[in-house]
Amino acid sequence: MRYDDVPSAESPVQDEVRDTPAEADAAFRTLRRIAITYFTVFLVIVAAFPVLTMTLPWWTESRVTGNLSPGFLFAGVGLYLVLAVLGIAAATLSSSVESRMLGHQSPGPQSFSAEFDLPESGAADEADR
Amino acid sequence: MTTTAVITLAAVLVIVLGVSVLTRPRHSSTVDFYLAGQRVGVITNSWAISGDYLSAASFLGVAAAVYVSGLDGAWYAVGFAAGFVPVLLLVAAPLRRYGEFSLADFLGRRLDSDAVRISSVGVVQLVILCYLVPQSVGGGITWELLVGHGIFGLSPYSTGVLLSTAVIAVVVAFGGMRGTTWNQAVQFLLLFSALIWLAVVLTADGFRYGDAVEQLSQQPLTNPELVDSGDQQSWQLVEETNFIQPEEPAVFGEPGARYGHLGQVALVVTLGLGTAGLPHVMNRYFTSPTGRAARSTTVWVLVLIGAFYALAVMMGTAARDIIPAAAQEHPWLRELTVDGVLRVPEHALPVLGRIYGDEAGLGLVAAAALIAAMSTVAGLLLASAATWGHDVYERHINPRATQRQAVWAGRLTTLVAAALAAGLAIALRPDAYTPAMPSLVATMVTWAFAVAGSALTPVIVLAIWWRGTTAPGALAGMLTGACLAVAMFLTAGMMQPSALRELMAAPTLLAAPAAVLVTVLISRKTRPPASVDAAWVIMHGTAADRQAERLATLTVEERRRRRAR
Repeated sequence: MRYDDVPSAESPVQDEVRDTPAEADAAFRTLRRIAITYFTVFLVIVAAFPVLTMTLPWWTESRVTGNLSPGFLFAGVGLYLVLAVLGIAAATLSSSVESRMLGHQSPGPQSFSAEFDLPESGAADEADR
Repeated sequence: MTTTAVITLAAVLVIVLGVSVLTRPRHSSTVDFYLAGQRVGVITNSWAISGDYLSAASFLGVAAAVYVSGLDGAWYAVGFAAGFVPVLLLVAAPLRRYGEFSLADFLGRRLDSDAVRISSVGVVQLVILCYLVPQSVGGGITWELLVGHGIFGLSPYSTGVLLSTAVIAVVVAFGGMRGTTWNQAVQFLLLFSALIWLAVVLTADGFRYGDAVEQLSQQPLTNPELVDSGDQQSWQLVEETNFIQPEEPAVFGEPGARYGHLGQVALVVTLGLGTAGLPHVMNRYFTSPTGRAARSTTVWVLVLIGAFYALAVMMGTAARDIIPAAAQEHPWLRELTVDGVLRVPEHALPVLGRIYGDEAGLGLVAAAALIAAMSTVAGLLLASAATWGHDVYERHINPRATQRQAVWAGRLTTLVAAALAAGLAIALRPDAYTPAMPSLVATMVTWAFAVAGSALTPVIVLAIWWRGTTAPGALAGMLTGACLAVAMFLTAGMMQPSALRELMAAPTLLAAPAAVLVTVLISRKTRPPASVDAAWVIMHGTAADRQAERLATLTVEERRRRRAR
């Protein structure tokens, strides 16, 4: 976290490709679909425990790995593993969609701030003060 | 005070103050004070977020809840861990890309409304207070157990509350987000190490997880209660009611000792949705350099806290299994137990530490508990400073404030919030509430999650994913969620155990949909802000990410070139 050695204001970074509203909207729709799908999977996983407790005696009465019941194993260990896998899959897919769908248009003639009527800026303005 | 206590406290102080001095802010700017210059890397930030999130409620409270309620206590761990999935899927990357100082500022700017910003400040402060008080309670409990006496005529508990809160308030006021980030990262590693050490020594000593659960489930689950017997009160073990099968006794390894089916779901939803509205956790995302980094950070957090909570549940089980026999051997343990069961369940981990590591083990666990409370207090105080100092002082009271004035406003509000939390923590002694709540620390944190998940999360998610969200809609939704959540959990405190009470005690399952409904209905009748298209490109586009990534690459190349010269 050092602050020195930063490229100057005239660096090639300024040439970065802007996202067009159409591109951003298309990416938004795809990301929304991914988020809803994974969120639904997440809800099903979380709701599975009480449903299985009510419907399946095996869930609390049988013994599996380490002499634990499937229910205890799920709440004590398995669920955290499942959540991590779900998170890794969702993040990988979202980032890959963004890479594929955004950043391919050439820079337009207008600056971004001129294209939109932006509300009062925050951190960037603060940094300039 | 024992030598161990002195060494433990000295070690905590050296770590906290040492890290703060080494990482003190080099610039007197608000971006540096509140956001650590927005250059915190993925690994550092994931450790810091974990340190921020894993509070006394997680370290002491989850093990305590499992100790008291068996499998039903594990729902706290499930809910706390699950909370980062909605954050990852719905909030992290777009929130960071919009790049503001706080949740209130994000909502105010996205919806182009000062009324939304000010109302959010109020809700955020309520969440912070609900979360701060139990952390201070955790500090007091640990001091009571570790040191055992107070200073300046204060009780040990009050001394612990005041000292732990005061130290971290000073560190935050002068270290800002930069010092707090490194403190939280180091503190998480220490906290995690303490749990791993306990797991290793327990297992080496012959503890077998599955066998312990099996053995504990052979008899009814009992806990100490203060019972009236004639003209005096005495502690007795009382059987827990089974809320799923009332005709059978509640047992450790099966659900029902604390919640019915509805209660389980309500608690997990409340904790799971609350995380995305916690100001101290969400503010940390503004320190990430890019939206993509914020997303990767959340994945790391999911992995780290998953491992942490799995260990915490195991420790609660181990404490229940081991302490009854240990109480026969250790006279000091008899004072803390009733027939081998702890009176204050939050003592479970420190007691395990002392059983297996003697005074040094107690010292290590107590240090970790103090650190857990302090790292979360640090995040909460900084979030409080950001909302008062930036969203109120800079935006409304003194818009022409210099950077120095703005930073000092943040420092001052940090100290005021700390004093208020310590005062409330002293007024709420935990052992008076133990019979009514599975774990006071975890229960109070649930209130914070309830307000955050009912009032802030629905509005934040809608502001990110629905263009039609308007300021009047968000305002109405936020106030509906907050009022419903507070009214429901206060009403639950006066109700007899029932399915309805469980739903009211963890109210997000009802309050969040109500907030969404009100936001959508009112938004449909009003006009979205004119800046919504621009906001969409910033939140869902990646131009700023790519620019920051290229800048970072150029910086690294520049450094390499300089070194090569």
